[in-house]
Amino acid sequence: MLARVANNLFWMGRYIERSEHVARYLNVNYFSSLDAPNIKSQDRQFVLRSMLFMLGDPEEDESKFLKEQDVLYSIGLDPNNPFSIISTVKLARENANSARDLISTELYEAINKFYHFVLNYPKEVFVKNGLHDFTSNIAEMTAILRGKIRGTLLHDSVYAIIMMGVNIERATQITRMINSKYNDALLSQGSHGDKFSKSFEWTTLLKCAESYDMMRRFYKKTPTSITTLEFLILNPNCPRSVMNSLNQVNEHVRMLNPEKRYNNDSTAFLIGRVRAEYEFKYVEEIEKDIKSFIEDILDSLVQISNKVDEEFFSY
Amino acid sequence: MFIVFYHVPFTKTISMANIENQIFSSYQRNPDLYDEIYDKQGKVKEIYQKLFEIYGEHTISDYVNLNSKAKSSFFNQGITFQVYGDNDVQEKIFPFDLFPRIIDHKEWDIIERGSIQRSKALNLFLWDIYHDKKILKDKIVPLELITSSANYLDQMNGINPPGGIYNHISGIDIIKHNDGKYYVLEDNIRCPSGVSYVICNRTALKKALFGVFNHYQTHSVTNYAENLLDLLESVKPKGVDVPNVVVITPGMYNSAFYEHSYLAKTMGVELVEGRDLFVENDFVYMKTIKGPEKVDVIYRRIDDQFIDPLEFRPDSALGVPGLFAAYKKGNVTLANAPGTGVADDKAVYTYMPQIIKYYLDEEPILNNVHTYHCSRPDELKYVLEHIHELVIKPVDEAGGYGISIGNKLTKAEIEKVKVEIKENPRKYVAQPIMSLSVHPTYIDETESFEQRHVDLRTYTVMGKDKEFVLKGGLTRVALKRGNLIVNSSQGGGSKDTWVLKK
Amino acid sequence: MPNQYKITYSTENTYENWVNNAYWQFLIIPMENNTQHHIDVEFSNSLFAVNDFSINGYGFKTIRVHPKKKFKKINFEAQFSFIKDHIDPFNFPLDINDSLAYKEIKELTFKINFEAFLRSTVLTKLPNDLDSIFHFNLSNTIFENLQELNKWTFNNFQFKAGVTKVDSKLTDIISTKQGVCQDFTHLFCAIARQNGIPTRYVSGYLNQAHGLLGDSQMHAWAECYIPQIGWKGFDPTNNVLANTNHIKVCHGKDYNDCSPLRGIIYSHGKNKTTHTVKVHSQEQ
Repeated sequence: MLARVANNLFWMGRYIERSEHVARYLNVNYFSSLDAPNIKSQDRQFVLRSMLFMLGDPEEDESKFLKEQDVLYSIGLDPNNPFSIISTVKLARENANSARDLISTELYEAINKFYHFVLNYPKEVFVKNGLHDFTSNIAEMTAILRGKIRGTLLHDSVYAIIMMGVNIERATQITRMINSKYNDALLSQGSHGDKFSKSFEWTTLLKCAESYDMMRRFYKKTPTSITTLEFLILNPNCPRSVMNSLNQVNEHVRMLNPEKRYNNDSTAFLIGRVRAEYEFKYVEEIEKDIKSFIEDILDSLVQISNKVDEEFFSY
Repeated sequence: MFIVFYHVPFTKTISMANIENQIFSSYQRNPDLYDEIYDKQGKVKEIYQKLFEIYGEHTISDYVNLNSKAKSSFFNQGITFQVYGDNDVQEKIFPFDLFPRIIDHKEWDIIERGSIQRSKALNLFLWDIYHDKKILKDKIVPLELITSSANYLDQMNGINPPGGIYNHISGIDIIKHNDGKYYVLEDNIRCPSGVSYVICNRTALKKALFGVFNHYQTHSVTNYAENLLDLLESVKPKGVDVPNVVVITPGMYNSAFYEHSYLAKTMGVELVEGRDLFVENDFVYMKTIKGPEKVDVIYRRIDDQFIDPLEFRPDSALGVPGLFAAYKKGNVTLANAPGTGVADDKAVYTYMPQIIKYYLDEEPILNNVHTYHCSRPDELKYVLEHIHELVIKPVDEAGGYGISIGNKLTKAEIEKVKVEIKENPRKYVAQPIMSLSVHPTYIDETESFEQRHVDLRTYTVMGKDKEFVLKGGLTRVALKRGNLIVNSSQGGGSKDTWVLKK
Repeated sequence: MPNQYKITYSTENTYENWVNNAYWQFLIIPMENNTQHHIDVEFSNSLFAVNDFSINGYGFKTIRVHPKKKFKKINFEAQFSFIKDHIDPFNFPLDINDSLAYKEIKELTFKINFEAFLRSTVLTKLPNDLDSIFHFNLSNTIFENLQELNKWTFNNFQFKAGVTKVDSKLTDIISTKQGVCQDFTHLFCAIARQNGIPTRYVSGYLNQAHGLLGDSQMHAWAECYIPQIGWKGFDPTNNVLANTNHIKVCHGKDYNDCSPLRGIIYSHGKNKTTHTVKVHSQEQ
């Protein structure tokens, strides 16, 4: 496979995954805020700021009044905002386009439909009452894409590269969500006798990661900071956890480079090393200093992505 | 046991003799035009009868429905080209007409043999003008024709392309005149495009109206890629056992990118851009995730001037620096060979009958549109007397500039053209005005079938000692009423083209 | 007496910003022919990138360089040593049938065989107004006419560096009457071709030890094909026939076929390039 095309496939995977997480974050935050148990979490300004924060485009001016429709447009459909869903989907398709000869017609067609759906979604409808429709369609279409990736591609290097992109992005987005919900939990504590560890925001976080039901089933208790973090970071059986994503990245890099030889300069080595660190970690160590954990894991993910780039995409 | 579900109306066979054929009820025939499906008496020709019946069972609204489904299938598959507007980029599909064109095996046989004959003659012509130049020395083709051509590449002199092939892929544009005979309008031997639409059109028609295929023994068109790969492999460089073939594209913003990716995918080879390749020690390599991999045959969809910035246009970022040196050394095959463009110039076209005769000692199987050279006194006299029934073309202008169509000129304009020709007779050639045949085509605006002009592009692939003509080709339709230009950039559409088995 | 030559060609290129990707192709190696032999080439670049020896589309030796990492400065240095035989430019048969020669250049086969060097190119296109340029006198031999043309170019045009560029058109040169060796050679080629004489642009080095005029970089002169004699070199910059001091690298239709250095540099901002050529000869 061409190095350039591999790079495109990797980023196609990342952008598909990214669009889904951003869409779900919008949906869950917006709708769970409507009947949230405390005033702070119900506050529309608070929710809009959280959305921008997660997107990596936080509003620094605390006194500024954010207009809902502007924020939704900016995150959802503004083609001039590089972080918006529409920009992400465009990039996903553009990357797919240049690797078109390598992916299945079925997958390409699904990406293309996805792209046209987002591109043609009426702006006025979206900002007024289309948020649910738009974001849940994105969630469904990305699920279809994942199905097509798994079900219509040969499980060889093309598949491995896409899946590495998907999983590195998933770990990144989950971490970003943890970061912004951690931030929200800090901000909202005390407003209604709410303690940080029992904040309503942890439930929202789990829903953003589509992991709430599973989590309830596993712990059979109301989510707290510690159980939520344990589930979303360390539990390898939770399909959205950082650990699970790292395991997947590890599995797929071995498809690209099955070599068993000791080579501390390889991507496989680096992934194994990061994975090992979280495999045997106590959640208490993380909870003690969530900020540092977030910085560390994001940094490790960037390093992995750079290493992939260096080993497979540059010549 | 399989249970096959049929959509009943398509398979029902009712004699249509006295049932009103809704879909064609408002079809108007202009008796001056050669209609592909009706004969002069207004009877549907035999090979179209079944198709006419089957389509006739549909209402216009059924048809509209099928048509729009076919269109959205093209759109979803991303079989589109891009139109750049002031602020945005729009994606458009090539308009596609669900009413197919049928060519029986006898007519096809002529087209196929004629296409091969032309491709072979052009190949021999290219070899000659890049080697001994006998045809010039024997005064069959004038020297100026070659040397004034911007597409003649001095660097190709003396190079022997692997397998002796220059124009591996030729696209020949053929029309049917109102005398019922086929004429060649143009030979495209640089990077002829459109073959992917032949296959897409067939796929779309099969999906929309699969029943019709039960009544016709039609040749498949899906074997193009395998034949192309086979023939490209046959012209591998010396010393290569199993050649590594790639397709090179200018990139995803090129209007034919879909075709490039389609061909790479169906041949199962890599689709590369210039930046994916590099040359070292006069060998070509591509950059893969596992390091460099040698490339032996390149099906290039980049024009000559852009293939190697160190040898041709230095401002081109599309090509591969050093590629021409690798080619010259015989370490890589380029298809089509550089410098083929000289043979598809308009002026060379006018000499095709002589070129065929000179190299093959055969009479041309497909007619050339007769060309009068105003540089020859007797022909000049004829031209001046018959301007009203001729097309006057300057020999050195491309893109349709400076063309005068005789029957559209006023008396005063004719006099003006005469003066211009007399001033510089060498500059002009003239051809009879050709009338392209027409085919019933569904027109959105009027919601009915109307006569539209069509042409046919055939695809010939030549390898070492073998050749292949795709049994189908691209029927292009001029969608504007009365328009003779069938180019896709000029609002043209296309039709599936069936070549019937014996 | 043959000459032992040593030529050093060096170039230094500096860029304001990082260059992420670059390709160079040098067309500077003295060609092997019947007066130039035992050519020894040493070539190096300061980034230790691979020096890829190859042959260009016109059959001349080139060196391609493509550094694999980014840089702001790169130097190239080449050294050529070789033997150049003594040339007596007037050593050709004198019993030439002149009318036959004039007849031959009008024949179609002749025109076809030498077509490339009879063609007018962008850089050798004469202005429409031909009054002010040199005209052949058909009662003289072709050789004499070409010698006169050589002299006419030398006398009517002044050598001045910096007034013209590599892509200057003949109209400008004819009106300013100034230029450098490339311009004089283009003019010479154009007029000779106009008169039916196949003429090629030659790029090479000049040994300036004997007072010949050049600009301490690459030199240019012309070669004409004269029936019954063959290719003959004319140096209009110096009004001499090409001799032992002219070391040929390559030939073509004009400068564009012969440019000593072609580069494709992916960078922005300013850049500076310097070239120096040193020619050293020793009679054996």
